[in-house]
Amino acid sequence: MTDPKQGITEAEAIEQAKQGHEAAFEVLYHLHKRRVYSLCLRMVSNPAQAEDLAQEAFLQLFRKIGTFRGESAFSTWLHRMTVNVVLMQLRKKGLPVVSLEETLESDDEVPRKEFGTQDVKLTGSIDRLQLQRAIDKLPPGYRTVFVLHDVEGFEHNEIAEMVGCSIGNSKSQLHKARLKLRDYLKFMRAEKAKTG
Amino acid sequence: MTCSEVERVLPELLDDASERAFPAGFETHVKSCPACSGLVSDLRLIASESRQLAASEEPSPRVWLRIAAELRAEGLIREPNSAPSRPILISTSPRRRWSAWWLAPVAAALLAAGAYVVSHKPAPQVAKQTPAVPVTVPVRVPSAVPENATVSPDRVTTPAPQQLARKAAKPEDRVGPAARPAVEPEPSAEDQQFLSVVSTRAPSMRATYESELQAVNADIRETQAYVNRHPGDADARQHLMDAYQQKALLYQMALDRIQ
Repeated sequence: MTDPKQGITEAEAIEQAKQGHEAAFEVLYHLHKRRVYSLCLRMVSNPAQAEDLAQEAFLQLFRKIGTFRGESAFSTWLHRMTVNVVLMQLRKKGLPVVSLEETLESDDEVPRKEFGTQDVKLTGSIDRLQLQRAIDKLPPGYRTVFVLHDVEGFEHNEIAEMVGCSIGNSKSQLHKARLKLRDYLKFMRAEKAKTG
Repeated sequence: MTCSEVERVLPELLDDASERAFPAGFETHVKSCPACSGLVSDLRLIASESRQLAASEEPSPRVWLRIAAELRAEGLIREPNSAPSRPILISTSPRRRWSAWWLAPVAAALLAAGAYVVSHKPAPQVAKQTPAVPVTVPVRVPSAVPENATVSPDRVTTPAPQQLARKAAKPEDRVGPAARPAVEPEPSAEDQQFLSVVSTRAPSMRATYESELQAVNADIRETQAYVNRHPGDADARQHLMDAYQQKALLYQMALDRIQ
């Protein structure tokens, strides 16, 4: 990965950042800022809070950059750190990292399609803004697993470790999150169609 | 296989990127059942579209400035030819402080300009203007700044307000790189002064200020163009006000770093 503006590779930037070069920190920041900020924003649904969390994630990274030995990808290291910062914040605020509904809901209460009724398919494509709004409406626990898996591409075993739940729980919450999203999106589409 | 059985196995099937082998009867049922077929295709669509959201948002310029300030304060950034590292709020020479006297009033003027633009819908002929046509908003500024000083939102440069870009339904409404003019406008007098002041900073910091100024100017210009086309869009007007606040903050940060 190379920063086109600075013309140095990520590996070079990491080495220079270890020496305290400001430009190297800046290169690393610009290479990863969108991914880190987007992750924070998806998980907390609040731009100001997401900025604070992105800032904290980068600061933690830069403070520890001297310990980075390159065994894992730098981006993986950073994103794990970002997730931990966000989860820590959610826990501090008393928000459920794993959905409370998981323990309270029976399978019968899971959003499900009504068989025998006309089912409107989403088909084609989903408006990105609507998708974002729908994700924002998810309960925090569902949202966390959904964002980590479907948006960020983490595997269930990684999510289970980070969030502190079982792999089965992670899979279950992801599926329920997708079902809820489908309902939200269909509702939004129907509302939009009504208003023309 | 029944609908309930399909729903039971779906989480396993859809979570596996390699799409493990379907259980017997799954495909046959899905092909013949519109409800299950719709469910499967919708969930796949949601999963695939969601990937596009990663790295889709841009943090505001202040995030890097705050990080850099904190790194300096903690001594993690070591300036070349200056050890130990410089604290953030450092008193520098009187000449440099004097050269930045205009920053605070200009920052205030920017906020006033933002408020003016946001609270006044453009006249019809203004609303029809294209982004290439400058829209100059006269702003009375504090006495430290010449009486005839103006802030010209369209005389400043561009990246896209993403919410608006997403919101734009028609190609002509889109505000993104494709909609940007090939030639960036000349920086305003205020921006030239700003750039002159930050030129005394370390090269990397100077580059940061320059790129952040360019970004926020771009945001203002594109949002202004969007607001001109959609004067009734409250979200867009709020975004424009936010962009002006960002610029004022950038000026203020430069001032804090110099004083």
